[in-house]
Amino acid sequence: MGIDTSSVWIIVPAFNEAQVIGDVIADLRSVFARVVCVDDGSRDDTADVALRAGAHVVSHPVNLGQGAAIQTGVEYARRQPGAAVFATFDADGQHRLKDVVSMMERLSRGDVDIVIGTRFTGSTINQTPPLKRLILRAAASLSPSSRRLGLTDAHNGLRVFGRSVADELNLTMSGMSHASEFIALIDENHWRVAEEPVEILYTDYSLSKGQPLLNGVNIVFDGFLRGRMRR
Amino acid sequence: MNWIQVLLIAAVVTLLVYLLRSRTNAKAKAWVKLGYVLFVIAAVYAILRPDDTTVVANWLGVDRGTDLLFYALVIAFVFTTLSTYLRFKELELRYARLARAIALDGARTPKD
Repeated sequence: MGIDTSSVWIIVPAFNEAQVIGDVIADLRSVFARVVCVDDGSRDDTADVALRAGAHVVSHPVNLGQGAAIQTGVEYARRQPGAAVFATFDADGQHRLKDVVSMMERLSRGDVDIVIGTRFTGSTINQTPPLKRLILRAAASLSPSSRRLGLTDAHNGLRVFGRSVADELNLTMSGMSHASEFIALIDENHWRVAEEPVEILYTDYSLSKGQPLLNGVNIVFDGFLRGRMRR
Repeated sequence: MNWIQVLLIAAVVTLLVYLLRSRTNAKAKAWVKLGYVLFVIAAVYAILRPDDTTVVANWLGVDRGTDLLFYALVIAFVFTTLSTYLRFKELELRYARLARAIALDGARTPKD
């Protein structure tokens, strides 16, 4: 791999993931030395497990939501010396390390600012549960930003981006609406974006931790109101 | 004068006094206060001469003054709900930033 991993920071937002966070971080650390786990006010010992697995740990004193956790992780990572490449990676073990590596290789070609994972291109299309696939596709095609940018999977937790994106990133939606907000920010800031096919491992654990599909209603609603808010 | 009229007028005037005494954020609140004075004048008038609201309602193509007030109430309620929602979102964001500052201060690094 042609990437200097010492400049890479992996951001893992985690809420009550003590069962799996140790393995996820150990796996990440087999390639990337620098991992920051943002413990989003977990009631279990997620933070201690992550720290023992070798991650830097930043703990929200209260639960704020995944969007806030990602923003915290990025703010922590971007102030570390030498940080140049950043990746967000879900804590529930649904992403594959080799997908992050291939996304970093894509980013290192230098023609884009951010690479987003997608479940819906390449050879992995049919692994997503059908109803989930339908709704995620609908979400992608309903979002004006996603359409304009030609993105097929707005709610993928895997993102790899460089310094320029990390410095400007300012997520204001604390909950699950941050994924669409991320896409809107890409559009507004004219970051150059590419998609890379990734595989999502739908284990029983990750499915049980995943957001209910009904949450899509909240996400659409928040999207409408986003423009009304002062920031 | 009916008892209900006395009670309603007492209520709006009490609210007015309460609002005029609050001193937070002078400039933004000044317009709210002026608006509220107008509202109280209109309210007292409507309480004393309820039939006049029907005249206004008829101008606007509504049968009864009560219905007109009801429509106005619905609009006001929706407006209040939305502005409260946005206000809450804004507070949530500030709260998130405060929590983030605390979290970043207390960051722990692994030993190796």
